[in-house]
Amino acid sequence: MSIVDPTSRAGIAIANSGAAGTTPRRSRAAIWKSALLDRASLIIPCVMLVALLLVYASLRDGVFTLDELNLDTAAAMTLLLAATGQTIVLLRGGIDLSIGGMISLGTVLAATRFGTDPGQAAAWAFGIVAIGGLVGALNGILITVLRLQPFLVTLATWSILSGAAMIILPTDGGALPSGWTMFGVSSWLGLSSSVWLLALLLVFWFWFKRTRLGIAIRATGSNERSAFLSGVSPIGINIATYGLSGIFAALAALYLTTQTGAGSPTIGKDYILPSVAAAVIGGISLFGGRGGLVGTMIGAFILTLIGNLVFVLEVSSYWQPIVSGIILLIAVLASSIAEKSARRSLS
Amino acid sequence: MTELLNATAITKRYGGITALSRADFSARAGEVHALLGENGAGKSTFIQILAGAVRPDGGTVTLAGSPYRPRNPQEAQQSGISPVFQELSLVPDLTVEENIWFRREPLSAIRTVRARAMREATLELFARHKFPPIRPDQELRRLTLAERQVIEIAKALSRDPQVLILDEATSALGPQETEWLLGLAKGLAEAGRLVIYISHRLGEVRQIADRITVFRNGATVAAYDTHAVDDETIITDMLGRRMDRLYPERKSTASQTVALGLRGFGVDHRLADIDLDLREGEVLGIAGMQGHGQRELFQALFGIGGSRGTVEVWGKPKTIRGPRQALTGRDGLALVPEDRRNHGLLLSKSVRENLTLSVIQRFTRFGITDPKRESALVDEMIATLKIKTGTPEQLAGTLSGGNQQKVIFGKMLLTEARILLLYDPTRGIDVGTKGEIFQLMRDLAAKGYAILFYSSDLAELVHVADRVAVLRNGRLAAILEGEDNSERQILRAALIETRAA
Repeated sequence: MSIVDPTSRAGIAIANSGAAGTTPRRSRAAIWKSALLDRASLIIPCVMLVALLLVYASLRDGVFTLDELNLDTAAAMTLLLAATGQTIVLLRGGIDLSIGGMISLGTVLAATRFGTDPGQAAAWAFGIVAIGGLVGALNGILITVLRLQPFLVTLATWSILSGAAMIILPTDGGALPSGWTMFGVSSWLGLSSSVWLLALLLVFWFWFKRTRLGIAIRATGSNERSAFLSGVSPIGINIATYGLSGIFAALAALYLTTQTGAGSPTIGKDYILPSVAAAVIGGISLFGGRGGLVGTMIGAFILTLIGNLVFVLEVSSYWQPIVSGIILLIAVLASSIAEKSARRSLS
Repeated sequence: MTELLNATAITKRYGGITALSRADFSARAGEVHALLGENGAGKSTFIQILAGAVRPDGGTVTLAGSPYRPRNPQEAQQSGISPVFQELSLVPDLTVEENIWFRREPLSAIRTVRARAMREATLELFARHKFPPIRPDQELRRLTLAERQVIEIAKALSRDPQVLILDEATSALGPQETEWLLGLAKGLAEAGRLVIYISHRLGEVRQIADRITVFRNGATVAAYDTHAVDDETIITDMLGRRMDRLYPERKSTASQTVALGLRGFGVDHRLADIDLDLREGEVLGIAGMQGHGQRELFQALFGIGGSRGTVEVWGKPKTIRGPRQALTGRDGLALVPEDRRNHGLLLSKSVRENLTLSVIQRFTRFGITDPKRESALVDEMIATLKIKTGTPEQLAGTLSGGNQQKVIFGKMLLTEARILLLYDPTRGIDVGTKGEIFQLMRDLAAKGYAILFYSSDLAELVHVADRVAVLRNGRLAAILEGEDNSERQILRAALIETRAA
């Protein structure tokens, strides 16, 4: 018997025919319809991505090539790393604004501390990731112990981290080792390091979401009380969630420096709300519990493609946020309509 | 036989309030032991102590002869005590099987959940206890309240507990699932387990319990062998005063005026061809197995979801497209919903705010509310319904289940609607309040209200309703009155032909 066959209900009903059979049978078509509606929040962004790609391809040659994939992945990767952490926090039912501050802090630390010695650079790279994890864990502790809104706590830590970044490097600049900035242009088997990083992220996600921690984060976002009654530790789950978010923000900062070759004390704020937008376009509920990284990735690519389109169309770049906003509204509206009809067709 | 579980002189205080003063309880392996008492008698506190969710201030508990002091729910479960709480511990966005095995998922070498092993374990568990058919891969939020309760039971059973605590577990279940659960409880007892069974339904207790312990005001007042005690005695022990009857006298007050007339009423494929007249002064019962259209009927009448057919309210055709249209003053309809904690009440708001939420216009002049008129309405309702609340400003979430239900009744009565839709209004509330609610229903009927009343407890329909309409597969199977209005006839009408369908 197939594990995910949506028609398996019938098989179980027969197996249990001795027990009370109160659930009316549903037709095959109805079962498929509800299976589709259940997955609507992922199908909708997929359709939007394909549509955008087709529009893009009609305006420009060479859209469906490895080069384009390499370029777009590199363009999307910083946002994607930041949005990975944000996804985990959103699944928990929280939000992390401090990633903006962490990204800024990460880039300025890298640009001022890496020096030229590879050993020192590597040590500092790990150090930055560790700082990300610690700051995130601190967010988690503050949220749990002080019983404060994640929005407010991470708003505060964002501000503190941004200030720290300003003190370290008041203006954009600094320098990174030349080997470090080669990361973006290196490739293997025709795929750039960014694409491999994307694959690595996917592997991480398919592992993580099936671990007990992954399930517990989703469960806590879905219903905190039930999760705690079932033995999830409130402080443990928050430390893990925000800690991971901090680590991914630090990774986003490191990746960003390989692209820009410099540090910037203000650049992080450009990723806060887009990371939330990418996740929401990808079908993640702001109320927690629902969605996954694949959706967020599609969302991040949609946002990146919109940037490309605006560029190709040679219109003012101010159109980018306008189109992004409209896409966000469409995605949210479409999944809410799908959710409503799913509920109607079932209850 | 020796005692498996022994609790002596358990005390628990919350601030100034004593929840348990001298609670004693002892039960053997191999029995179903009913724990009875009014809401507020200390049953919940007691089982929360057993479940490790609350720590007692004094007294001792022994399990199989050794001291039992769980520090948290996990320790209790490791000792073999699994509770099925009324307040569910399930997560809506996890699947059925993820919920059952949550925190105990079978893991692979790379620490991920082994989906196939989990599926097999789930199907094995379902088959072993003859569970009603529910897809293990379905997300919990897609399940009905009854199905969720069944999964809560599955979660408790998955730990293969030595002691299973069922707290009002049948209150969300339909008659068939209730039968199943009662059989399950007896089966577990026969297999040498202890089942602690808490229910407000004496019929069920009689059916399965070997012994009964009664709590009142935080202390144990009596313990019996079930066959050696009659219902009157049990109820007297619970109430501490002799209660004349649970059910009020039923004097037909129905007039010939039709308050709510349905012709060809239906909701997509789930409800069809309903012709029904609810008369002024009448309590019309609605019965049926779980999932045969009762919920759709109530929701559609209140304007939730679409419907077809004609609806006449007090003789005038009416289309109801949403709760706002249903709630139009004296000619409107008011609903007591199924899930009072999520749909009926704002738990974090005060009793006053809950009562007057739907009727702000009744004490508003030129867009400004008049607090004096509001508090007059609120005080009147609290007094009429005997709502036990410290002040009108107490948060609704801090009231007992019965009093929360009274607040919902008050909210509904304040709308001045004279057609009341009551969907399982006594679910999970104590005997004393149940009696008050039945009395209130008959009083309202006598005043000319028309009441449509669904209950998952057939006895309530038989004793409170003037007539009972039975639904089967979304269609009207029978309307029973007089002699025919009996549990046997209702079940017959609700069940016959369902097997063929």
